[in-house]
Amino acid sequence: MNDSRRASIKRPPTPDAEEEDEDREPTLEEIINIKLIESGEKERLKELLRERLNECGWKDEMKSLCRSFTRKKGRNNVTVDDLVHLITPKGRAAVPDPVKAELLQRIRSFLHSTAL
Amino acid sequence: MKLQNLTLTTTMSSNSDLQSHLHRSYASNQQQQSKAVIVPTPCSHLTEFKAGRGATAFGKLLEGIRVRPLGRASVRGEAFQVFQCGACGKVPTRLYACVSCDAVVCDVHAPDHEHEIAIDVDRAELFCCSCGDQVYDRDFDSAVVMSQTAAATLGGCNSLCAPPPESLRKRRRVDYRPWTPDSRERALLGSHSSLLPGNNEDLSSFPVGLKGLNNLGNTCFMNSVLQALLHTPPLRNYFLGDRHNRFVCQQKNGVSYNKNERKNKNLQKLCLACDTDALFSAVFSGDRKPYSPAKFLYSWWQHAGNLASYEQQDAHEFFISMLDGIHEKVDKDERKPHSQGSGDCCIAHRVFSGILRSDVMCTACGFTSTTYDPCIDISLDLVPTHEGPTKTLHSCNGNAETINSGVSTLLGCLDRFTRPERLGSDQKFFCQQCQVRQESLKQMSIRKLPLVSCFHIKRFEHSPIRKMSRKVDRYMQFPFSLDMSPYLSSSILRSRFGNRIFGFDGDGNDLDCSNESTSEFELFAVVTHSGKLDAGHYSTYLRLSNQWYKCDDAWVTQVNENIVRAAQGYMMFYVQKMLYYKASGSS
Repeated sequence: MNDSRRASIKRPPTPDAEEEDEDREPTLEEIINIKLIESGEKERLKELLRERLNECGWKDEMKSLCRSFTRKKGRNNVTVDDLVHLITPKGRAAVPDPVKAELLQRIRSFLHSTAL
Repeated sequence: MKLQNLTLTTTMSSNSDLQSHLHRSYASNQQQQSKAVIVPTPCSHLTEFKAGRGATAFGKLLEGIRVRPLGRASVRGEAFQVFQCGACGKVPTRLYACVSCDAVVCDVHAPDHEHEIAIDVDRAELFCCSCGDQVYDRDFDSAVVMSQTAAATLGGCNSLCAPPPESLRKRRRVDYRPWTPDSRERALLGSHSSLLPGNNEDLSSFPVGLKGLNNLGNTCFMNSVLQALLHTPPLRNYFLGDRHNRFVCQQKNGVSYNKNERKNKNLQKLCLACDTDALFSAVFSGDRKPYSPAKFLYSWWQHAGNLASYEQQDAHEFFISMLDGIHEKVDKDERKPHSQGSGDCCIAHRVFSGILRSDVMCTACGFTSTTYDPCIDISLDLVPTHEGPTKTLHSCNGNAETINSGVSTLLGCLDRFTRPERLGSDQKFFCQQCQVRQESLKQMSIRKLPLVSCFHIKRFEHSPIRKMSRKVDRYMQFPFSLDMSPYLSSSILRSRFGNRIFGFDGDGNDLDCSNESTSEFELFAVVTHSGKLDAGHYSTYLRLSNQWYKCDDAWVTQVNENIVRAAQGYMMFYVQKMLYYKASGSS
């Protein structure tokens, strides 16, 4: 349902860039990612990760960071983008090593069991 | 004459209709604090988008809502469709499907897209590409939540969900009004009461009701709890308000106070509430000499036979046992329901009883089974908060915003208490939908808060296997002011549905009114334990008129609040900041 009448004509779509990008080869990482999604394994891994990060208090930690940031900037001055950019580096660094190891092991077994 | 200084010896005609045991005891917080749910206003782009379309605005995409196990809603064409950003071809963590056209964009390219309103494909939440922020719409959220709810129940109706033990529909509230006696009551008060002996000058600055309790032989476990209960506002008001007059009660039960007949103590009907009434009278009499609660101890022994000895006991066990004793001896002739959850059975439950909700979710299909149980207090495991991740955060960037590593807090324990917990593979739960035993997640939450919340920290570990017991001395930080809303069923349920515009009541029905402002609590008593498991000592810190006092058996001293903060809390007592009357009659 292309309702172009209502579209704001602030920025035109970027047709040329699209064509270029679609021609390039997907990286190995992207291939694996797609395989994970299509098989449903990514969903399972995400659930597992959620559980582990919840158990060790990582989620509470991130929530707390978001809360103090929001308090400082004011509730109405914070966007999802702001929060994502705030906690992504900290969050990535804060994942406990055992959790990383467990997830990597799961991905490894998945790769062994799938023909690439 | 200040009402506090009068000992009421007459039986006040109890107005059974107005169940008002409640009294504002704190000078602060006089004004109503109405905490309305913050309803986010739509951005101009969302408003514009919906202007011409109304409820069917999201039609096509709503059909693509898939609910995965554990309730997460997402947008999918087919089951494991891979979305790619139309602009860069990547598959990042945040992808947005435009509502107006077929484009899918990542967060980097979202601002460039010609349309504004899109849906986060993994979360089924609305996003405005122009504002770069999440936006909310009632129609959209209703539709998504309906799908999620349907997935968690059997064919749309939650047949296994036992209805809460009482009708928890909101009752009409009557705002608190301070009571002053009218002329008739004033006359009654004047003619039927006697002034208490004047306070000793030295002690005149101490509030009424502060009185030491003599240790009768390792009875600090009892003294400490009694001190807390003596100053539990609704309980104190109940007994000082003569709601259980021991003379009337004993007359009714044919107990004679004639000394000659006291030999037949076996015939005396035991009533712990009467003994409590006597205790209140003694402690609030204005006399500052320490009191020996011997009669009370003896009565309690008769109730809790197995604990009757001069050995050290557990204060928490005593607490439960005492409330149970008051409940048991309630006049069973009164036609009051005995469901503990409603708190209508006795004053003990009226004050302390809350309702816990337990959800067990099947990890395979998402079906959820819910049960409700009354509780008189909450026992919390004492666990260190934020072990691993915090240490990494600290070393990584020394950010002052991070919490101290490893310090346990009451809030942390409550977080742990309400966290979804995966039951072990040996505890598989029979799922009604799958019709087999499946691994499941269990999550606790508080359906109804009591007037007074007692938190018991499990510091005493008994291991039957190793036949060993040990005490956990770890310090736990506790707040003086506590907001329980994150632990309510409504909040816990809300978090399961993602970020939605409306809240939920504790039963999973969506709610369109302001939050009850009854989730704010204030600390008024702390029972502490010092020493070892088998050779320790209990004492209580009390907060009266914004001043803290330490009650160590017969010794009562004024202390600075920092002493209290540093204490090793074993039981913490919090009372609701705002109290209301329940409207009389049926609602």
